[in-house]
Amino acid sequence: MMEFPKDIDIPLDVWVDGIMEWVLATFGGFFDLLGTGILYLLLHTESFFLWLPWPILVFGVGILAWRVMGSWLAGLGMAGMLFFVGALGLWDLGMMTLALVVASVIVSLAIGLPLGIAMASSDTFQAIIKPILDGMQTMPSFVYLIPALMLFGLGKVPALFATIIYAVPPVIRLTNVGIREVSANVIEAAHAFGSSYWQILFKIQMPLARPTILVGINQTTMMALAMVVIASMIGAKGLGLEVLLAINRIEVGRGFEAGLCIVFMAIIIDRITFSMASRKKK
Amino acid sequence: MKRIKRGMFAALVTLAAVGLLFGTSPAADKPTVIFGDYGWDSIQVNNRIAAFIIENGLGYPVKYVQGETIMLNTALIQAKGGEAPNVNMESWEENWQELYDEGLAKGKDPDTDEGFVNLGSNFPNSVQGWYVPRYVVEGDAERGIQPMAPDLKSVFDLPKYWKLFQDPEDPSKGRFYSCLPGWACAQVNKEKFKAYDLEEYYNIMQPGSNPALAGSMVTAYKRGNPWLGYYWAPTWVLGKLDMLQLEEPAFDQEIWDTTKACAYPAVKCDILVHKSLPEKAPDVVAFLKNYGTTLDINNKFLAYMQDNEASTEEAAAWFLKKYEDLWTGWVPANVAAKVKAAMK
Repeated sequence: MMEFPKDIDIPLDVWVDGIMEWVLATFGGFFDLLGTGILYLLLHTESFFLWLPWPILVFGVGILAWRVMGSWLAGLGMAGMLFFVGALGLWDLGMMTLALVVASVIVSLAIGLPLGIAMASSDTFQAIIKPILDGMQTMPSFVYLIPALMLFGLGKVPALFATIIYAVPPVIRLTNVGIREVSANVIEAAHAFGSSYWQILFKIQMPLARPTILVGINQTTMMALAMVVIASMIGAKGLGLEVLLAINRIEVGRGFEAGLCIVFMAIIIDRITFSMASRKKK
Repeated sequence: MKRIKRGMFAALVTLAAVGLLFGTSPAADKPTVIFGDYGWDSIQVNNRIAAFIIENGLGYPVKYVQGETIMLNTALIQAKGGEAPNVNMESWEENWQELYDEGLAKGKDPDTDEGFVNLGSNFPNSVQGWYVPRYVVEGDAERGIQPMAPDLKSVFDLPKYWKLFQDPEDPSKGRFYSCLPGWACAQVNKEKFKAYDLEEYYNIMQPGSNPALAGSMVTAYKRGNPWLGYYWAPTWVLGKLDMLQLEEPAFDQEIWDTTKACAYPAVKCDILVHKSLPEKAPDVVAFLKNYGTTLDINNKFLAYMQDNEASTEEAAAWFLKKYEDLWTGWVPANVAAKVKAAMK
């Protein structure tokens, strides 16, 4: 057996620590500002969902599900699941979680769509971004929780930050793929008619890529929801925190309740957005 | 279809606009005292006791922030943003010694805004050690459990009984559930193993999280199985399960400093506040310096919670009623009067 030579030792940890300290010292003010902006978005999303009367949301989800899935039974099922969350006494926590997920998805789209478009239009850019996306999806989230905490302080903002790191790659990838899959013949025809780059992008590529992009949004939402327990470790309130507290006290039933609510919310969001993506345009 | 969509969009926008009206918080002239609401019951009750006195007696707004232990402690040192805790009522600093040392050093360094100061102990006499369920030694007639190790009294009896605690992943040895990686006791247990000559009989298992450690103990207890490992009090787990602490030679500083072949000293369970708090809220800090409970009191309110299925708030209220003589000594008489008025 050959041992790896001990003399080869890259002090990556020291470098990373150094960079982190430098970033904190140099860009601290910038991150404070960014944090304030994100917090503003988050607080208002949250107070909106907490303010939203529950019957409106339950019926709204029921009707929406019925319309997009084309079956009243599905609508009834979705509304029933949401009602069940309230019946377990976890409505407010559920809304906090939903607010975090919605805010994460909004920010993810704001970052992801332009990046995806840029990736589709440049092979070099695609080659650079792809490994970064791989890293974002596979790097264990505990690794960046503490840096997120150092940059943004405790609470909702670092939670959103950590959620976005994990959840943004699908929308970037699928926007890229969707646009690249648009048939070259169609683009050529558009060129022949004298269309500009932006006209081709917004009038041809984006509409044709729409189903693929919607699948990306669907995936992003699901991944954001999967992060809620991790997010609660750095102070995000909601169902994730309920799970964390239940685990800390080994209260299996309480953890299951909160966990089941997360599952139901995932099913509701997934089925509705997926149906929207796969539905033929009328 | 399009019309419905547009209608829905309009409705959502209206709702969002109404939502914007909420979410503003009233400005307060006194700084908010933010308690780190760590994931165990005793600290949450201590938080609520202190918070009740601070809110009603001293007139500061209070808040609790939840999260994972290391995250909360990191945030306590940094005190960045409106959600960072500025009080930790039970430090248990040996579980995060490295970060603690760093935070304490920063607290003394005038060139940085980070760091905390230690205000002294909350309760001085917590216990830690090696435990087995009592039924392992004495049996439990009610549950029909025969004594499995009738002669197991001290750590020196452990070699005889390794088979009882057999490690399923390595059947040639027993399994000892030790501390989490990063806790000071993980290293201490390792040294004790050497000092007590247990290495050839037992493997040390390090669980990845506190719930995993407590969970292994609770599961074994519920099924009436043998379990051997490290734990500490006051905790709801040791309040709930009838565990027997294995005897060790009495604590002796000299032995502790060399081989560690003696019992653990009490865990340090101090009150920490962010370094800016003494300046911003001197009366709160003065109160927290006086704040002090005992292991016995903590066990009592934990038992009260257990017996009455009480919330942490209710347990705090129970404490304030029951131990009036104790807490009135922590604050000036006029403050105590305000708190008493608020209790009614």
